[in-house]
Amino acid sequence: MRHRASLSLCALGLLTSLNLQAAGVRSPSMLANTCAGCHGTNGTSAGAQMPSIGGMDNGYLFSVLSDYKLGVRPSTIMGRIMKGYSDQEIWAIAAFFGEQPWVSTDQVAVADRIHAGREIHERQCESCHEDGGRGQHNESPRMAGQWSGYLRYALEICRDIGRRCHPNKMGERVMALSDQEIEALAGFYESEK
Amino acid sequence: MTDLQRRAFLKSSAVALGAAMLGVSPGVSAAAPKARVLVVGGGFGGTIAAKYLTMADPAIRVTLIEKDPVFLSCAMSNEVLSGERDLKDLTFGYRGLARRGIAVVQDEILEIDPVAHFIRGASGGRYNYDKLILSPGVSFRWDRIEGLTQEVAERFPHAWKAGPQTLKLRQQLEAMEDGGVFIITAPPNPFRCPPGPYERAAQVAHYFTKHKPKSKILILDAKDAFSKQGLFQAGWKQHYGDMIEWVSGASGGIVEGIDPKTGTLIGQVEEFQGQVINPIPHQKAGTLAESAGLTDASGWCPVDQRTFASTLHPDIHVIGDACIAGTMPKSGYAANSQAKVCAAAIVAAVSGAPTPEPSYVNTCYSLIAPEHGISVAGVYALADGRIVEVEGAGGISPSDADDRIRAVEARFAHDWFRNITADMFT
Repeated sequence: MRHRASLSLCALGLLTSLNLQAAGVRSPSMLANTCAGCHGTNGTSAGAQMPSIGGMDNGYLFSVLSDYKLGVRPSTIMGRIMKGYSDQEIWAIAAFFGEQPWVSTDQVAVADRIHAGREIHERQCESCHEDGGRGQHNESPRMAGQWSGYLRYALEICRDIGRRCHPNKMGERVMALSDQEIEALAGFYESEK
Repeated sequence: MTDLQRRAFLKSSAVALGAAMLGVSPGVSAAAPKARVLVVGGGFGGTIAAKYLTMADPAIRVTLIEKDPVFLSCAMSNEVLSGERDLKDLTFGYRGLARRGIAVVQDEILEIDPVAHFIRGASGGRYNYDKLILSPGVSFRWDRIEGLTQEVAERFPHAWKAGPQTLKLRQQLEAMEDGGVFIITAPPNPFRCPPGPYERAAQVAHYFTKHKPKSKILILDAKDAFSKQGLFQAGWKQHYGDMIEWVSGASGGIVEGIDPKTGTLIGQVEEFQGQVINPIPHQKAGTLAESAGLTDASGWCPVDQRTFASTLHPDIHVIGDACIAGTMPKSGYAANSQAKVCAAAIVAAVSGAPTPEPSYVNTCYSLIAPEHGISVAGVYALADGRIVEVEGAGGISPSDADDRIRAVEARFAHDWFRNITADMFT
């Protein structure tokens, strides 16, 4: 996993520098700025179901955006949009947002929900989503400070598709969660900054 | 522009040039910035152009000139008609942009001198520029429906620019008796917000269903097809039964006149009577673009679609609804996307860098009911100098989506609005 991530980063660096030189190639900011109308300036979303993407792991963003393009990851609109880009362009978009600072929401859930969510997190999620969801790499996104509306939506989709959720151990664990547990988890992560 | 107009314009330009020599320039102060860029129009296009210029190159001095003290969004204003939203939720101030170092000036620009590179406002203010960006939106063609004038539109509101017109139409709908007929006339292409009239029908139907269930909605269309048509018609049926009737141009929907005394719409085939009438006028580029000689015979502004520089005056860029942008629709998101391409091109031009390769996106949501949203997306690139859709990408929401997906898209519609306005004003 780590190995794959570092390979990805090399590829990103190479492509980014090529992009700046080659005529007819669209720059990372040119491509990525078109996302801001829904995901906020530099990927910091104003809420509430739309995720912030600025400051996320570039390897993770690349795999998610590619999965949208391939139709592997369920979506309402992202699949339609990502089909418009080459793999190199998707790398460039992922690299751009990866370089932006992460900005947490200013929302905090009610205390009961935070405690309930923390218990589930420590029992089932912390092994991959380290440091209360602050840790991230190419298979696990940053969740601390993310909009809870989005987290709930993403977890519900993952639960729906079960083992097809990527990675499948994630699907297996989320399948067992109730609506209340998903809400508690989402509230917990949003409250972690 | 006719020869006579052009002569009059050149004459007034010459007068203005005289003023320039006297050194009258209240809007601009000394120091030597890398470039002076003026942006006229503080809507979906202008705010973004000003902000992204400043973000990309702080050495460029950016001034945003807008005639109104605040911005009122047309997007989501159909929710004011249904009572789901208050007009104040559509109102935004310019303080966030001022905090970014953009000089925000309230003035109405009346005159542009493309040769001497300055513009003049109603305040008497004179502003010099190296590059000028216009985002003037649309104006109405009052000569296309006989009897429909700006004055008559005070009684039969178009509500196609948010504000008092929106409130007037809402009041008329509230005052209408149950069992009345509400008529929308939809204009021919191209016009601002292609799905707008059909979303409006749905939003009003949502209000009628709760408060005036015997009422009817009639859409008289100048066209034979419209944006997201299948999704709209299925959604209308699902939520509102037979309340909404759409009459295509070919089947008698084309309206040629209005009798303001009796509130009668005169169609090509028959006349129509309604208790509330909402004639959406035919459209063209904003008045300023026209008076500055930036429009062609179509009434819209031809531009280099890579940079949005006017093909008639290259140091003036036109973005948003007013420009001709290939196959992009006249939408808020399109204006946002065009503004960023335009800003990047200007940054490159004043830095002596090559013009960047552009990328454009459009995303439009429409709300059929509070829990029923639909969308259209388009990804665009430049091919042979023209903006075209990337094949295989974009398109509309699936026709067979379940209720849950429709509800998710309704929430995304509201998030779209939160984010696009945050992109503009923070």
